[in-house]
Amino acid sequence: MLDYVGLESDLGEEERMVRDTARQFVENEIGDDIADHYIEGTFPKEVITEMGELGFYAPNLDGYGLPGLSETAYGLLMQELEAGDSGLRSMASVQGALVMYPIHAFGSEAQKDEWLPRLADGEAVGCFGLTEPEHGSNPTGMETKAERDGDGYVLSGSKTWITNSPIADVALVWARDVSEEDAPVRGFLVETDREGVTTNKIDEKLSLRASITGEIGLSDVYVPEESTLPEVEGMKGPLACLTQARYGIAWGAIGAARDCFETARDYATDREQFGKPIAGFQLQQEKLAEMATQITTAQLLAHRLADLKERGDLRPQQVSMAKRNNVRMARDQARVAREMLGGNGITTDYSPMRHMSNMETVYTYEGTHDIHSLILGEDLTGIAAFQ
Amino acid sequence: MKILVTVKEVAEVEDDFEIDGTSISESSLEYDLNEWDDYAVEAAVQIAEAGDDVEVVAVTIGPERSEETIRMALAKGVDRAVRVWDDAFEDVDLLDVESKTDVLAAVAAEEDPDLVLTGVQAADDSFGATGVSLADELGFEWAAVVNDLELGEDTASVRRELEGGVEELTEVELPAVFTIQTGINEPRYASLRGIRQAQRKEIAATGLGDLGLDASVVESDLRLTEMYEPESESDVTLFEGDAEATAAELATVLREKGVGAE
Repeated sequence: MLDYVGLESDLGEEERMVRDTARQFVENEIGDDIADHYIEGTFPKEVITEMGELGFYAPNLDGYGLPGLSETAYGLLMQELEAGDSGLRSMASVQGALVMYPIHAFGSEAQKDEWLPRLADGEAVGCFGLTEPEHGSNPTGMETKAERDGDGYVLSGSKTWITNSPIADVALVWARDVSEEDAPVRGFLVETDREGVTTNKIDEKLSLRASITGEIGLSDVYVPEESTLPEVEGMKGPLACLTQARYGIAWGAIGAARDCFETARDYATDREQFGKPIAGFQLQQEKLAEMATQITTAQLLAHRLADLKERGDLRPQQVSMAKRNNVRMARDQARVAREMLGGNGITTDYSPMRHMSNMETVYTYEGTHDIHSLILGEDLTGIAAFQ
Repeated sequence: MKILVTVKEVAEVEDDFEIDGTSISESSLEYDLNEWDDYAVEAAVQIAEAGDDVEVVAVTIGPERSEETIRMALAKGVDRAVRVWDDAFEDVDLLDVESKTDVLAAVAAEEDPDLVLTGVQAADDSFGATGVSLADELGFEWAAVVNDLELGEDTASVRRELEGGVEELTEVELPAVFTIQTGINEPRYASLRGIRQAQRKEIAATGLGDLGLDASVVESDLRLTEMYEPESESDVTLFEGDAEATAAELATVLREKGVGAE
């Protein structure tokens, strides 16, 4: 596996063990079947509890039976999962960073006790409802509202592009509390079997096909007061979650790119034309050299991010830079890898085109590439382009 | 009840490798837990999970490097480990069955287990004899190539693989040594919680002196004289996968060779 500047030789034993376990799991349990799932547009649901048993959901959190691993170990886990498929990493990202993290950070003790162990084991599946049909890059404009009703709230509105909503047991829905002055954004843990909740599946995707995506419809859904996340108010709630998830994406994209690189390298050293392996031709060598360089620089960024996150100095804008760079890198290099495989590269026998198509989703979810440019632009100039 | 599991970190040779005298150059080797031992560990951990008050202790002969491999066994549920190493091992090309037996028997004498599980063989030197030899040394009952194991009060019923597809069902009195065959169970992955817990489990570094042994234990009548790569006389293509996939691949090859061409 490509580790050109030996970053992994500085890993701790525990981190190497996490990497090896995740790598073996992906190779043995995912490797052969994922292409079929991709074609069928299905997610290998059996891995939900398997990944839970292995502790793949939010292992960087502690308490409530969670292992509290290092941010590097968590990043390596995301990297290995996405080397399998972005759908697999998305499952772990949503469950861990977008559902368990906010409960852990902003939830009541009762919410933590009720949800964290079940979500960690994969017995319960969570989803994260922020994006709306009319509000993507600008979630602040959300229309989903919560109105006081006795001891609870009534929620109405709709959310879309929600990973796992059709199979979720609980949705973390962000809505404006219109009963309060200035209608602050608040988080609500909504069990999907509550009356008025619908979770339609979005079919006919051309990307991230081995992942379940849907909507959340909220038609006057009553939730008790205890369903609100008590410890956060305003957009910083959902944005804090997104920073966690984007951190995982910055790592995950490297896994996808690395898998493309290794596939292309194997192919090129094996495939013979004009009497020698195509890897012996300068054109292919240049591609491999560039791919390896791009992956290595992305790795450096991810490892540095891990160190900053570990010591509590990581800024969301730095995560934006890494998400922006690493996903673009994976998107570009997947295409180069596909190209090196010639016609074989367009079949499901090889991973690069699957990764390439997945990266179209990853490029524009969790903050589009362009929005991350604007976040960096604001940080660098002090002038917000989007206000 | 105490179960002692012998484990070994084995060298795996990469596809392209270089022979350097009587060994393979370090750069083409990767180290991992011996495959058979993984099944022995799983068997022991399953017994521990099903019973009350069962301690599983792993023992290995290996340098400090092997601790990471042993730690993986701890992450899968082994309670603690003993790692035996000594300068005397450093210069030995080949640790023979007798030497391993003497060392492992000394550890077993200290631990006093009710059951010893070993892999059938080690993937690198493949003697396939250490488990049975250990039973002989300890005066334990034994069964080799075990592919099913049910533990009773004072006995275990085991199924053994014999030659020619014959299997033997037998009752063995405890204490006993069983050499475990692959396929007896499905070895688990280490969970991330297990990996975390394993960092706090003990791997006791033990020297020969601690076991009442000395450097003479490595002496052997066996000598590794040569290492070479056998010449291949023809190429083999191995189809992997289910019948449908392999049949399709075979059909492609046959068609390419002109079979069935009009």
